[in-house]
Amino acid sequence: MADAIGTDPEARDAIQRVIGTLPFVLDHRVEGMAFGKVVRSTVPHGRLVRVHIDEALHEPGVVTVLTGADIEADPGVREYYGAQRADQPVLAIGKVRYAGEPIAIVVAESQHAAEEAAQLVYAEYQELPYVTSEVAAREPDAPIVHDQWPDNSCGEWRLQHGDVEAGMRQADRVYSATYHSPPASHVPMEPFVCLARWQQDKLEIWTSSQSPYAVHTGMQEMFSLPPKAVRVRTLNVGGGYGSKGQIRIEPMVACAARAAGRPVKIELARDEVFYTIGKHAATVDISTGVLLDGTIVARRININYNAGAYAVTSPGGAGQGLSRAPGPYVVPNVRVDSVATYTNTVPTGPYRGAMTSQLSFAYESESDRIARDLGIDAVQFRRRNLLRKGDLYPTGEALKDLHYDDLLDDLERAIDWATPSDPSGPGTRRGKGVAVIIKNTLTPSRSEAFLALRPDGRIEIRCSSVEMGQGVAITLVQIAADALGVDTDRLVLGFPDTDVTPFDTTTSSSRSTSSMSEALQSAAGDLLDQLTTRAATRWGVQRQSIDHRDGVVVEGDEPRRRAPWASLLAPGESELVGHGVFQTNFGLSRMDPMDVHGPVSVHWHQGGAAAEVEVDTETGVVRILRLHANCYAGRAVSPLRVLKQNQGCAVWGLGPAMFEELQYHDGSVSNPNLSGYLIPSIMDVPIDLTGSAIESSDAFAELHGVGEMAVPAIAPAIANAIFAATGARINDLPLSPERVLAALDAARQAEREDSA
Amino acid sequence: MTGPENLRTVNLTVDGIERLVDVRPGETLAETLRERLRCTSVRQTCGIGICGSCTVLLDGKVISSCIKLTELSDGHAVTTAEGLSGPDGQLSPVQQAFVSHAAYQCSFCIPAMTVAVHAAMADPEVRTSTERVREYLAGNLCRCGSYPQILQAVDELVQSHISRGLETEG
Repeated sequence: MADAIGTDPEARDAIQRVIGTLPFVLDHRVEGMAFGKVVRSTVPHGRLVRVHIDEALHEPGVVTVLTGADIEADPGVREYYGAQRADQPVLAIGKVRYAGEPIAIVVAESQHAAEEAAQLVYAEYQELPYVTSEVAAREPDAPIVHDQWPDNSCGEWRLQHGDVEAGMRQADRVYSATYHSPPASHVPMEPFVCLARWQQDKLEIWTSSQSPYAVHTGMQEMFSLPPKAVRVRTLNVGGGYGSKGQIRIEPMVACAARAAGRPVKIELARDEVFYTIGKHAATVDISTGVLLDGTIVARRININYNAGAYAVTSPGGAGQGLSRAPGPYVVPNVRVDSVATYTNTVPTGPYRGAMTSQLSFAYESESDRIARDLGIDAVQFRRRNLLRKGDLYPTGEALKDLHYDDLLDDLERAIDWATPSDPSGPGTRRGKGVAVIIKNTLTPSRSEAFLALRPDGRIEIRCSSVEMGQGVAITLVQIAADALGVDTDRLVLGFPDTDVTPFDTTTSSSRSTSSMSEALQSAAGDLLDQLTTRAATRWGVQRQSIDHRDGVVVEGDEPRRRAPWASLLAPGESELVGHGVFQTNFGLSRMDPMDVHGPVSVHWHQGGAAAEVEVDTETGVVRILRLHANCYAGRAVSPLRVLKQNQGCAVWGLGPAMFEELQYHDGSVSNPNLSGYLIPSIMDVPIDLTGSAIESSDAFAELHGVGEMAVPAIAPAIANAIFAATGARINDLPLSPERVLAALDAARQAEREDSA
Repeated sequence: MTGPENLRTVNLTVDGIERLVDVRPGETLAETLRERLRCTSVRQTCGIGICGSCTVLLDGKVISSCIKLTELSDGHAVTTAEGLSGPDGQLSPVQQAFVSHAAYQCSFCIPAMTVAVHAAMADPEVRTSTERVREYLAGNLCRCGSYPQILQAVDELVQSHISRGLETEG
């Protein structure tokens, strides 16, 4: 009998992963395929007067050159798309809204020919004033990014709980500060890549996407096609982290293939990946009213997310952030206003720890600042206010299944909280910091799964969850094996294919291990039920006397009759399919954005981090001595994979905490490659990098995703460790040596003033 | 342009097999290996020699194939990640260590990482110290953050070199 959950089976394709034969869309080719190269705007904001393509058209090997005007003139194409607001043109029409925006596509016989010809395409612009800051874009005289939204609003949400004014009056002290997170980039090692082929009226897409069905829906809308006329397939995804979670370059590739009359593949160069999607910069104003004993009585938060030039998921994302902003604390009086703002910058979307890292940097930095000012230990301050079972969250829902005490215990143990840091050498200071966070998961959403019993006795899992390194493929095999009571080697799993695998909202928001496992369990129940009925009918017995053991139907306690599952298939019957669905029907998108109230999430994600640092007080350089990441997992399907996710969260979180920032000069990104945009290398990561999963004692506890819970805790944990070491508080990420030095100077100045 | 591609033939020994391949002037080794010779383990991420995803060995030395011109590799031997395994598909000790420690997530960067580790383990100055091998890997980026598992794999290889070295001395 199977008992796969809780074990660490090797990925089935482990050897391919290591030797380099794992299939990616990058490696996929079809007959007659041409190659596309995108030409991009060189100005951040301007009327598009004319795009010159004639020279490029006459280059050898060029098949066609496509512009926004061509797409606008094609009655078969809806020229704007967007997951939540169809505001993004496939190629710029009439005006450009950010530097790097696609304005044309050159299709040629080879990648090289396309690249050469693309250099001959140029545009005339009538430049307009531009705005890159989310704060400036909300000023009354700011440049208008979209005429339809003259205040640059890309979503507005409000949450009120209790009476925040009264709460602030009741407080002994009120602490206020502003925190800022810069724009950043996901930098998946595999760039965006997509191949599109039209066969008569059927569109086939191979794409590196976390959400094949989001692409499927988007393509139907764009070309007014019925569902069966679009087929989307994904292979392994070489890193997503949120960047590949919605429709992305597929509209360009499908339009290019349509114009060229043959299959087209586009693989973005690295700078283009930076120009395609990024992380929301955000400015967060936070005020917290507390009693002298450390009890939080009120919290007021204003969030302004920088949406970039197009909406992507920002209209709803601002609401997701809103619901996470108060932090994992009991706060009786809360008001949160959360907006997303259009600017002339790269569009932004979910970024591992989505919409949350910008907020946790604010509220967890405040936790330590307030605790120190009140003379309370930073962990004790958290314990005084933590959400516990049955507590009312500001959304008005009583939360269950909360584990913050366990998470904090684990952080204290991991960082040896009770013991001060070892003394360091001259010119350096050491300190420790912790942070905990709360995050909802995408609700409402839907996952469907099929389990198909084949004549050879194997069972095929059909679902659209995407393997992108998190290990979802083997996770789902483990879950299905246990649900069916068979060994994992009986199960077969292929890649998502919308002609074959059923609907799933997306592989993101850390939802797959939870939602898809529910769908698989329901599919397993359905398959077992059908097998029971067939066996009962065949043997002329009651259903109640039928049982299943390791892929065999048995009748009676000491089985009188046994039949392997496959023998219950009729002659010539190719398969017997169990269907399963898991769906949630509530959540933010069903609420009034100006009056958020009610259940927001099917369950709440909980994570934390602890850091110890050494600060060089002469240079401002911060060395991370150790880092620990944890999360609540419900039950760990694979302890090793959960550890890898926690450690991966720590490595990921290090980047935006310490050095990642997409920089704009004169309205354009000035560091669109890995020479100027640094991501953590093996030398940046402390050797002492640990992780823990908190598990439930309940053998049937709900599974929780674990892919991003610790990410939002990393930056505040490090900032708090710097604070503990030096007294320097830094309100802007990344925590660069320059900022550390400036904060050290400010702290010394404050000390002098205090003693004066 | 003279002719659409203006190709020239170069001679490369790739993973032990001699290949005559027509390349453009200015074509990089990464492009030749990926697009003309279909070496899927060679992957281009940054195109400027920083990320290490295109790492191969040229006459046994680590290079970023995205900034190496194929014409300048004429007559030389290239080893890709796929070429580290034996002719019968037997994994090399480096590859086996990566598999054993599950040192991969999305795996886009991993084959090139094994090439860099392979080169490090061939260097007597480096292979007996995990810390030295770690420095060797500074130019191979992994966005998923599999570094702890990669270091475990490295550590196993280093320990086996140390114990073998002791045996030889003894």
